[in-house]
Amino acid sequence: MIEREIDIAIIGGGPAGLSAAIAAKKSGIDNILLIERSESLGGILNQCIHEGFGIEIFKEALTGPEYMQRFIDKVEQLKIPCMLNSMVLDINKKKDIIVCSPEGLIKVNAKAIVLAMGCRERTRGNICIPGTRPSGVYTAGCAQNLINLKNYMVGKRVVILGSGDIGLIMARRLKLEGAEVLAVVEILPYSSGLPRNVVQCLEDYDIPLYLGHTVVNIRGRKRVEEVVIAKVDEKWRPIKGTEKRIECDTLLLSVGLIPENELSKMAGISLDSVTYGSRVNENLETNVKGIFACGNVLHVHDLVDYVTLEAELAGNSAADFVRGELRNESNIKVTAGNGVRYVLPHLISGKNDAKFSLRVMCPDRNRKIVVRDGKKILKKIPKMRVNPSEMIQFNIKKEYLEDVKELTIEIE
Amino acid sequence: MKKKFICIICPNGCEIEVKYSEGEIEKISGNLCEKGLDYVKKELFSPERGLTSSVNLKNGLLPLVSVKASKPIPKEKIFALMDEIADIEVKAPVKIGDIIVKDILGTGADIMATKNVDRKGNFLYQKKEN
Amino acid sequence: MVVYDALIIGGGVVGCSIARELSRCKINALLVEKECDVAMGTSGSNSGVAHAGFYVQPGTLKAETNIKGHRMLPGLCKELSVPYEEIGKLVVAKTEDEIDHLKKLKENGDKNGTRDLEIIYREKVKELEPNIEAVAALYSPTSGILDPFELTIALAENALKNGVKFSLNTEVMGISQKNGRFLVKTNKKGFESKIVINSAGLYSDEISEMVGIDRYKIYPCRGEYHILDKNKSALINHLIYPVPPKDLGGLGVHLTPTVDGNIMIGPSAEYIQEMDVSNTLDVMDTLLKEAKEMLPEISRRDFIRSFAGIRPKLIPQGSKSPADFVIEEDPEVNNFINLVGIESPGLTSAPAIAEKVVEIIKKKKKFKKNRKFNPKRKAPVCFSKLSDQEKSELIKKNPDYGHIVCRCETVTRQEIIDALNNPLNVKSIDGIKRRCRTGTGRCQGGFCTPKIVEIMEELYHPSIDDLTLKGNNSRLFIGRTKDLRKND
Repeated sequence: MIEREIDIAIIGGGPAGLSAAIAAKKSGIDNILLIERSESLGGILNQCIHEGFGIEIFKEALTGPEYMQRFIDKVEQLKIPCMLNSMVLDINKKKDIIVCSPEGLIKVNAKAIVLAMGCRERTRGNICIPGTRPSGVYTAGCAQNLINLKNYMVGKRVVILGSGDIGLIMARRLKLEGAEVLAVVEILPYSSGLPRNVVQCLEDYDIPLYLGHTVVNIRGRKRVEEVVIAKVDEKWRPIKGTEKRIECDTLLLSVGLIPENELSKMAGISLDSVTYGSRVNENLETNVKGIFACGNVLHVHDLVDYVTLEAELAGNSAADFVRGELRNESNIKVTAGNGVRYVLPHLISGKNDAKFSLRVMCPDRNRKIVVRDGKKILKKIPKMRVNPSEMIQFNIKKEYLEDVKELTIEIE
Repeated sequence: MKKKFICIICPNGCEIEVKYSEGEIEKISGNLCEKGLDYVKKELFSPERGLTSSVNLKNGLLPLVSVKASKPIPKEKIFALMDEIADIEVKAPVKIGDIIVKDILGTGADIMATKNVDRKGNFLYQKKEN
Repeated sequence: MVVYDALIIGGGVVGCSIARELSRCKINALLVEKECDVAMGTSGSNSGVAHAGFYVQPGTLKAETNIKGHRMLPGLCKELSVPYEEIGKLVVAKTEDEIDHLKKLKENGDKNGTRDLEIIYREKVKELEPNIEAVAALYSPTSGILDPFELTIALAENALKNGVKFSLNTEVMGISQKNGRFLVKTNKKGFESKIVINSAGLYSDEISEMVGIDRYKIYPCRGEYHILDKNKSALINHLIYPVPPKDLGGLGVHLTPTVDGNIMIGPSAEYIQEMDVSNTLDVMDTLLKEAKEMLPEISRRDFIRSFAGIRPKLIPQGSKSPADFVIEEDPEVNNFINLVGIESPGLTSAPAIAEKVVEIIKKKKKFKKNRKFNPKRKAPVCFSKLSDQEKSELIKKNPDYGHIVCRCETVTRQEIIDALNNPLNVKSIDGIKRRCRTGTGRCQGGFCTPKIVEIMEELYHPSIDDLTLKGNNSRLFIGRTKDLRKND
């Protein structure tokens, strides 16, 4: 097996991996290797042909491919080595990586690793939709890939389960290309996507939105022929007698993204059971020293701009680690309190300004984010609107963090 | 007449209520900023939407190239525009910003490529290693 | 028109076993199958267990073929390069009063000739299965597991190689007789054959009726399953069955490890009116509940896929005793070999059933030995199971083995190409899945399906109708991206 000594190995060449690589290189590390399993860089942005990327970073509303090209161009300009069609098969605590590529099996001995593998989609099997197993059932991202990159139209009469942004974007995409979108079905009593997407993707096209409903049956021997939807109770159990049959030929599932942490588990990295991503400190370092995580593999993002910023931090931290400059033990535990689904990072040092990312449990208006150490309230941040589908980020200056024992972040 | 809008300009999504008659706005309330006013005015009388889609590509490493309209399109022309670009076939190579169709359907908007796609070579996939 | 010596109706594990067995002779044989691939019926939706023979009633054909088939399977699988594991089974008793049942099962097994059956108690059960609570268990060390698709495909490929012809997508519409020959009408063309073998599984009663045999009726009894994520595989080491409840049409909810490293939960047993392979909410909930009783660590989040299969039962719900296999040349219709009601232990019995059928045929006509018969089938490459050294060497020879396409199961581009070039020329997504495991992982094909379609485009330039999930009418797509808006 070929062996390579690398300072920073970056697993994943999507927006997170690209930004981490650029940051690490700019900070002075040359011996970087970016490992990507597909035949091109850009990750999921390759198939996100809609607009809305780059509003924070570039102050422009770019499409996914335009956004990613800026970073790919930078990677080429900086001459950062990349391996394509290369899949990481294994990583261990010692940061040895086994890569499988058409060039052979390669063992990469890395001083630091940045995990940027993104996420996978929750499947029908995972949410146990009853019925037969015909063709025409796709996860939304897979359908997006087929339509935008492989030039295949997945169906003519489509029902979409899940009103998160991916489901809404695909509803519009299908409608624009001439398909009928018969319904978007959402199990929550509210859409999990942004209100403006509900307007632009559903209302604009008179696509019915069934809130508080789910798909309870898929029918069709060879190809989808119809789906049955029903109202659900507070426990998400279908209510008998509320069934409605919708004749269609396609069912798209937009029912959740799961960070791809199979490799992380191999390296003994502790995962957060809410985010399904690694537990990290303020440097985005996991419990394995020298392994960092960023982007969707850490927690599912809604704005790629935040992915870029997060990945820059990870890349810089990895570079600092390689130089032996990563100091400050992160011992202050950060916990999600009332109303907060999760908050990152899990640990901070209190010696630096702290940047937090969180998601709330329920949509609400006129709330405050409360940061406290036990009973002592450190900061209150008013928020006009909070929504589980919008990641909230805020900073706390290190002056506020002196003598802090532990932090709880909650909503009031 | 009264109508309610959810402004789509920024993530705030203000709920704006408009009282209007015969092409004139009488009263607007609910917006947090000026942009909301502009949005609602446009939305009421001449709604526009940004458009992104894809176009068939010949001899490229990909079969389609993603495109966007250079400026928002009148909402009522969107489907006609989609029909129009369905028949187009562009030849690779294409670069971001290449104009595929100039002033489509008299809207003043150009259809531009948003992705770089190289021409297909003799090899099945390009390897890129610096 | 070619007159076949034998025409087999049905490409399940029984039909393909017969085909392979027949190919030992110099014989002109044809197998017709209505779906696009073999093992698309009951053979493709069962537990994949090689039963050791203690459930079946002594003195029946079921028992005879079960015991014989169970003995034949390991050797057969070796010849055909089909993975087989003698993993062993524990029938667990949760309470003292269930131990009687274990004893009855052991008695049964001893009568049938099952080897090494042993009743073990709590301590030993814990030793073998740290996560299972039981007061006692019947331990059957020789029970095995295999992949029923792989076996059926291997049998078919080997039969094909040894001279048997296969016609897929061929549905039998009617059979008439003339001059001592059968004229088998299909949706494609007619075939003439001296002997017809009915191994049509769920439709064997309909095929029987075509030649005037109307005394059989198949009562479909559906079994639903769930497949668990591989990260739960370490929970059990053997097949775990509870003591079967009294009034069920099946065996109760089992925990079945597979040769690929998943655990399956099921099957249920429900008599149904139509051939409907749906999963239902009530049964899904029940299966989860009962599985959790045995393994509290399991949750719904661990499910990656659910499926259902149908048992071709010969007796309706509520019957006192189970029916036996029908394996006979029909007494009224000469040269019509009827196989009806081949439910569990059909997979295990298949090799023995095949031998019986060929014996019946050989008694009618002495066929010469096929001197070119090669019992061996070369194992397809399974990249993920190779050592690092083997992987490296393979990639050196062919870089396409270094290009991983199915991320969850570590399946390479070349393995997919090899699967696509299969001897039966099956090109459905499910056909590829069964041959190289793409899409069987936790993402269920979400990542690899677009890439597989791309490979198929590269190699075959398929039309939209050629890209299917499982054959005719299961198209993946309705056209190209722009087709719905195109003005032609």
